Amino acid sequence: MSNEKYYVPHGTYWPIIGSIGISTLFVGFANQMHDVSWGWPVMVLGFAIIAFMMFGWLGTVVAESVGGMYNSQVDRSFRWGMSWFIFSEVMFFAAFFGALLYARVLSVPWLGGEYNNIYTPQLWEGFKAAWPLISTPGDVGQNGVAFSTNFKLVDTWGLPALNTGLLLTSGVTLTYAHHALRAGHRDALMAWMLATIALGVIFLGFQITEYGHAYHDGLKLTSGIYGSTFYLLTGFHGFHVTIGVIMLTVILYRIQKGHFNLENHFAFEGVAWYWHFVDVVWLGLFIFVYWI
Amino acid sequence: MNLFVIAVLVLIFIFLGSAVIGLLKGGKAGSDRMFKALRMRIILSVLLFAFLLLAGALGWIEPNGFNLLPTQ
Repeated sequence: MSNEKYYVPHGTYWPIIGSIGISTLFVGFANQMHDVSWGWPVMVLGFAIIAFMMFGWLGTVVAESVGGMYNSQVDRSFRWGMSWFIFSEVMFFAAFFGALLYARVLSVPWLGGEYNNIYTPQLWEGFKAAWPLISTPGDVGQNGVAFSTNFKLVDTWGLPALNTGLLLTSGVTLTYAHHALRAGHRDALMAWMLATIALGVIFLGFQITEYGHAYHDGLKLTSGIYGSTFYLLTGFHGFHVTIGVIMLTVILYRIQKGHFNLENHFAFEGVAWYWHFVDVVWLGLFIFVYWI
Repeated sequence: MNLFVIAVLVLIFIFLGSAVIGLLKGGKAGSDRMFKALRMRIILSVLLFAFLLLAGALGWIEPNGFNLLPTQ
């Protein structure tokens, strides 16, 4: 908190590097979708540029923060920025959960004849509503059956419950880390952070295993509205866990460097909240996909 | 039973929201609020998970059976 004037950022090249990265990613992705041979490597290059930009830009911010260039106004800006980011994350997952519940509770029953059979004759006559809907009605014709009986039940007590236990345990270890930080116990803080990161990595390993089994058994992104929403929800959740593990690792590095003290540890708090949120999203997934 | 599970999940989200308010406020008071809210959310989450497992084992609640995989 070196002065009370508002901190004005100096000229920096990171935004233009970010723009180049996003453009490269977009061009690569678009061409990859059209089966152009160089699409995939260009897409990876775009990702790499964005990662480089993020580490470089955030590294600059960390150096400025540690160098005492930020005052209370900048602190407030960071807190508002994080809060809006949190809001966008909540809305992001709310949209996917909303899609899952809308399809399950409303649109699929409508197609099957509920609500005075308004929709069925106009779209796919003879369509029998069932959940999970693992084929697109149009793919199976006028007398299409949307539900195959050749399915086995995923063991709710198996990998899904184990992964839920793992993530919740990581929430407990992170809470102990948070407590250790506030109490000034640095060794305990680092140990609990390491445990949290390890649990996150194990979760991701199991998730990849589960995807392997599901995909091998024929449940794909194209397997009707159920396959789409299942993979979008769990896939984006896994992506968020991956980002969370990276952020926790950066925080662990910063703890080791002595960047935080009892009063000033906003970065830890922001990442801690993010991890708790990712944890709750999974709990919601476990409840709505497997139980309710 | 389903309503109870959803109600606890909503309560967990309320604690997450309380933690965001603590994060936004900052300072000692905000930091305290955030920590306590996150601690409550993890306690409730673990209890909810344990309840689901117990309720499932005792037959009070059944898995919805929607989680299917094709057998081909």
